Amino acid sequence: MNTLEVRNIKKTFKLSKKQQKIEKSNLKEKIAVNDLSFTAYPGEIFGLLGPNGAGKTTCLRAISTLIKPDEGDIIVGGTSVKTDSLIVRGKIGFLTSELKLEDHFTPNYLFTYFSKLHDVDIETIQERKIKLFKRFGIDEFMEVKVGELSTGMKQKTSIAISLVHDPDFIIFDEPTNGLDVLTARSVTDYLIELKDLGKTVILSTHILSVVEKLCDRVGIIINGKMKLCDKLENIVKDNQKDDLEDTFFKLVLEEETVGAF
Amino acid sequence: MKNALTVFRKEFYRVVSDKRLIFMAVFLPGLAIYVMYSFMGNAIGNEVQDIQEHTMIIYTENAPQDLIDLISADDKPSEFHLTSELSQSEIETKVLEGEIDIVLQFPTDFETLLTEFQEDDFEIPQITISYNPGERYSENSYWTVGYHLNQYRQAIVYERHGDEIYAFSQTEEHIVDEDKASGQDFAMLLPMLIIMFLFSGAMSIGPDSIAGEKERGTIATLLVTPIKRSELAIGKVLSLSVISLFSATSSFIGIILSLPKLMGAEGGELSTDIYGIGDYFAIFAVLLATVLVIVGIISCISAYAKNIKEATMLIMPVYFISIITGVSSMFSGEAASSTMIYLVPIYSSINMIISILTFEMFPIHFLVFVLSSLVYVALLIILMTKLFQSEKVMFNK
Repeated sequence: MNTLEVRNIKKTFKLSKKQQKIEKSNLKEKIAVNDLSFTAYPGEIFGLLGPNGAGKTTCLRAISTLIKPDEGDIIVGGTSVKTDSLIVRGKIGFLTSELKLEDHFTPNYLFTYFSKLHDVDIETIQERKIKLFKRFGIDEFMEVKVGELSTGMKQKTSIAISLVHDPDFIIFDEPTNGLDVLTARSVTDYLIELKDLGKTVILSTHILSVVEKLCDRVGIIINGKMKLCDKLENIVKDNQKDDLEDTFFKLVLEEETVGAF
Repeated sequence: MKNALTVFRKEFYRVVSDKRLIFMAVFLPGLAIYVMYSFMGNAIGNEVQDIQEHTMIIYTENAPQDLIDLISADDKPSEFHLTSELSQSEIETKVLEGEIDIVLQFPTDFETLLTEFQEDDFEIPQITISYNPGERYSENSYWTVGYHLNQYRQAIVYERHGDEIYAFSQTEEHIVDEDKASGQDFAMLLPMLIIMFLFSGAMSIGPDSIAGEKERGTIATLLVTPIKRSELAIGKVLSLSVISLFSATSSFIGIILSLPKLMGAEGGELSTDIYGIGDYFAIFAVLLATVLVIVGIISCISAYAKNIKEATMLIMPVYFISIITGVSSMFSGEAASSTMIYLVPIYSSINMIISILTFEMFPIHFLVFVLSSLVYVALLIILMTKLFQSEKVMFNK
């Protein structure tokens, strides 16, 4: 079953003196996520929403096996990130918001490189490359160095690279950040296509309109805790607000974290 | 190992497909050394020739003709004038300005005074030599004239006392292994330069390859692929080592080709013909082992640093320590005899290079050096793997 279950995870980071200054805190540790749980199902886009520092990136990194939860576990398609991280890595496609591809390489080279690291055979690499590059309009630029590509084309290349192995679980952190309307539309359309293909998609974004348009269910994280997790319309209705933005602000204000946002 | 090879190929391709990078990392070090040393050699050669061909402007007062004849017979051309042509202050000004190289002032009736050496009231004649030590022609004239003045003095002593004045005479016989002597010249210069260029070669690409991945965020994409962290570490270290080795080889060739020019200009004779193919293979093996250790150190530091700038900053102290270690070889030119020394990274490399260059390599030292280097590389790869596995180092610094 291609479900992704986040089970009561907790992650604590030690704070350096420099970090304590930035956080304006005397505490030596910071709980990034605490008792966080949710489940994402195949054929749905699950949106993770929260102010800056709420714990979204920590949660996504834990799902992607980049960090290990101190407590709890994450089960990706029946595999634990704690015990079988190598297997989990083969199942997920992860796009980080901080990714900047190396300027010197072409999309073609990078696609092949990451495909090989995912142990994809040569024939499949070519098939996937043609399909994804055509889908994103990269095919004409596949031999152009990344440094010479537009921001939109770079982001599309990053997305294609994160999907080289046709993963069942797709974890995208701010995939439309800094993109123009046309490119952003192309990305969001593709996420819908992935969902229709039965993939499990987890999306973290600040853009509420994207969440409203794409996400079947939403989890709102504030101060490392899951504040709400439900279908979009239920969240809005239960909080007696007109839209997601109003609901989101209400929840954040309740937690007195509006300053951080 | 398949994945390590994929990482190796990609990192290798990153350098070789970038013409600027390949020029900067591989060709430039050798070319720069060759041009720099050849230029220095030519400059020193020209300087020596210029001084040799310079006509010494000598002003004299009451100078004996025999001394003037001796100086005139020297290979260095000379031109004599009398101090009476100028005032004392004019002479001093011209010495200061470099128009006069040296002034020799003898007492009146100097030659008559010399004959009165047996009289009771005999006083040793005082000669005044004026020159400018801050001016190269003047200083060189002082040494040339001083040499002939000494010859002249000895001739006078011989005239007065004959052979009896000399307690003994001497002849010199040079019993020397020319190859070893040349080897020692190489051993005093090469180790420091080799370590310096091995380091700078690895430094030019290492931080970008590893700390750069963190800076660009590509490390996360790389770490979510199902490859082992150790494969990633091995792939990175191997590719950087090969490129650094190219860089070091280029530097080595540059040094070998230019050193004879540099040493030749200083009047020495240096030829790399003294070394056989076995010596070159041994040097290459030492370079390979050393480059692996250096790349391992640089890679670990780069993996620890959060960006390229921090990596470069953290590598600098290690680089300076290595240079200082290399400088130590410049004073002795002899390899350490204790086997334990060959366990100390970098210092062992320097001693190995010296021992090969001076034809004094012991197989046990070579074996200890190679094996210990391999152990260090393995430990550094394990450390790098741990760093790649560390959440704090990778994502929370």
